[in-house]
Amino acid sequence: MDLTELHRLMLVARRIDEEAIALQRQGALPGYAPTKGQEAAQVGSAAALEKTRDFAFPNYRDLGVAVAMGVDLVGYLATHLGTWHGGLYDPAASRLAPFNAVVGGTVTHAVGWAMGAKLDDTGGVAITYFGDGASSQGDVHEAMNFAAVYRLPVVFFCQNNGWAISVPTERQVAGGSVAARAAGYGMEGVQVDGNDVLAVVEATREAVERGRAGGGPTVIEAMTYRMGPHSTSDDPGRYRTLEEEQAWAEKDPVARAAAQLPPEVVADAERHAAEVVREVREGVLALGDRPGEELFSFVYREPTKALLDQQRTWQESADV
Amino acid sequence: MSEFSLQQALNLALRHACEDDDRVLIFGEDVGRLGGVFRVTDGLQAKFGEQRVFDTPLAESGIMGMAVGLAMAGWRPVPEIQFDGFSYPAVDQIVNQVARMHYRSRGTLPMPITLRLPSFGGIRAPEHHSESMEALFAHVPGLKVVSPSSPAEGYHLLRQSIADPDPVIFMEPKSRYWQRESFDPDAPAEQLPVGTSRIVRPGKHATLIAWGAMVSRCLQVAELAAEDGVELEVLDLRWLKPIDADGLAESVSRTRRAVVVHEAPLTAGLGAEVSTVVTERCFDTLRAPVQRVTGFDVPYPSGALEDEYLPSIDRILTAVQTTLEYRRG
Amino acid sequence: MAEVTVPLPDLGEGLIGAKVLEWLVAEGDWVERNTPLVEVETTKSAVELPSPQSGRVTRLHVEADEELAVGEPLVTFTVDDDQAGIVGTVPAEKKPSRRVRLSLPED
Repeated sequence: MDLTELHRLMLVARRIDEEAIALQRQGALPGYAPTKGQEAAQVGSAAALEKTRDFAFPNYRDLGVAVAMGVDLVGYLATHLGTWHGGLYDPAASRLAPFNAVVGGTVTHAVGWAMGAKLDDTGGVAITYFGDGASSQGDVHEAMNFAAVYRLPVVFFCQNNGWAISVPTERQVAGGSVAARAAGYGMEGVQVDGNDVLAVVEATREAVERGRAGGGPTVIEAMTYRMGPHSTSDDPGRYRTLEEEQAWAEKDPVARAAAQLPPEVVADAERHAAEVVREVREGVLALGDRPGEELFSFVYREPTKALLDQQRTWQESADV
Repeated sequence: MSEFSLQQALNLALRHACEDDDRVLIFGEDVGRLGGVFRVTDGLQAKFGEQRVFDTPLAESGIMGMAVGLAMAGWRPVPEIQFDGFSYPAVDQIVNQVARMHYRSRGTLPMPITLRLPSFGGIRAPEHHSESMEALFAHVPGLKVVSPSSPAEGYHLLRQSIADPDPVIFMEPKSRYWQRESFDPDAPAEQLPVGTSRIVRPGKHATLIAWGAMVSRCLQVAELAAEDGVELEVLDLRWLKPIDADGLAESVSRTRRAVVVHEAPLTAGLGAEVSTVVTERCFDTLRAPVQRVTGFDVPYPSGALEDEYLPSIDRILTAVQTTLEYRRG
Repeated sequence: MAEVTVPLPDLGEGLIGAKVLEWLVAEGDWVERNTPLVEVETTKSAVELPSPQSGRVTRLHVEADEELAVGEPLVTFTVDDDQAGIVGTVPAEKKPSRRVRLSLPED
């Protein structure tokens, strides 16, 4: 994937992100975790995957990953829309796990998935996304240790965006670096400029190839910045300075890629992104709610008798 | 027909499950080379290899998180958490991930995970090794919970749990690991649906409802009660989620009295749920309020006080007598 | 019942084998953990090895005056399946006893 394509994907992520915020402000979307500023880290890492055999485990701020993996974006945004926790896209077919709000909660899943892929000898690699805040979670330690003990094909992709809601990295990460922790597990760890999309692709490709070749897991710490708030109801002005935000705005990863491309390529990417935004917006507004009986549909493979009784109770009250 | 201890019956069930389905994986702390601290996985690594039966690092949340990923990759994980009390560090994974992934993914990511959890007290164990966590897990949508009461039950329920497409918490009553029973594991077992209880001993004056190790205790009580001319029915609930409401109602509507017995503390224990189900279904026929004989609302005690804590024969008999004597005002 | 074979342990200081001087148990004996099992002679000294576990001795793999290398089978035990796990004790099956007696209501 060359810079033109990477920029195109990053721009789609940027414009969808802006649209999601707009939809939230218009009352169509109850809440959203803006991804602005992290597009290069997300698109660049996902672009290094093989969609036929790799699998990604995102967190809740990874729209760029979904864009780069070609996931149905209306189905993806269905989580933020409050339509269905986990979205309406098919995670197995899309190779993108449904995200949830437990910080660091899916990092161990990547380890298990990678073990399964290794047992099946598919050559598949798992990539797990987490942030500087999640790096404090015990599960992240457990996952790194398991993956290293078993030498599993896992890429631990940390987007260090400077802030875990209101707590800065220096108050979160002892030793100052998530990548440095890799040494303690006997695995490779690299820090990469997370706003340089080509550097991210390169670092991730190297880690994926290492995993595929049986070389075990890798930690990549992509240094980036959350240019927006933690969520649409957060106010970063309460904990960080305008000067800091302005300094990082100078390093905007989308603008940085655009600066290296001919103006007509950038203009074409803008037209493409606008078209995607239009389609997604229409899709989101037309989506509608899921039928009420789906409350009960997926709790078990087959509903239990007790659950069917409860469904009847619901149906009776719904029919009144 | 051969005689098996519960340990051996569970070992055989795991062996047969691995033979019948090459996607079954067994893992946990010390389950490989050692064969498990209670020897339930003894010899399985030698037979099926280190890829299918393997030791994990000592981290329960990691074990359950790995099970989620393995299930997503199409495997059928049978993890062990070494002792009940050590499943608490894994509760986040069990509740927030294992139990919800099928729902979250709208059925595209099934979680056919069987968590084997040596459970309950009665062996004079150190702190955190004697917990009864059925109410906690039964409260979680998406989980199924089961506890066998004998070797034959252990064999069949473990096979059924592993074959089940949903996550099952399989609570092994560790005080019964050494109990022996003759049965033929190859004989075709009656295929009872998940969530079916069984009458272990028929009776007409009251129903004792129990699971796990308390089933044996209730059978002792029924034997003694018979000396007094009181015929107690003993119902082994087996499945703690889903609960067999029909089976409970069928028995209690005949005996018209019920006593539920469990090791867990009283307040918000599963006995409350059982009592409610029985009362909802049998209010008109009940001759007395449902009685609960349980552990007390105290932390599980040291071995020296264990017998004071666990439901005793006399406490159960007293509860039975209360139901026999009860007169509606 | 299960069989457990214990090999000659590494006696330290780089010694690679030992000679059995005298067996302190016989086949068929029940031994407890830490019971003296065998006296062996190395190039440095004679030492008494305690049993690493309890069980019934079913086979002594070497005769007195024979030599064996570290890691080679020394003794095989038959152990009871009914051994406790890593913690706790096997509960004793007691005859049920009680104080409370039941009486049926009159109706």
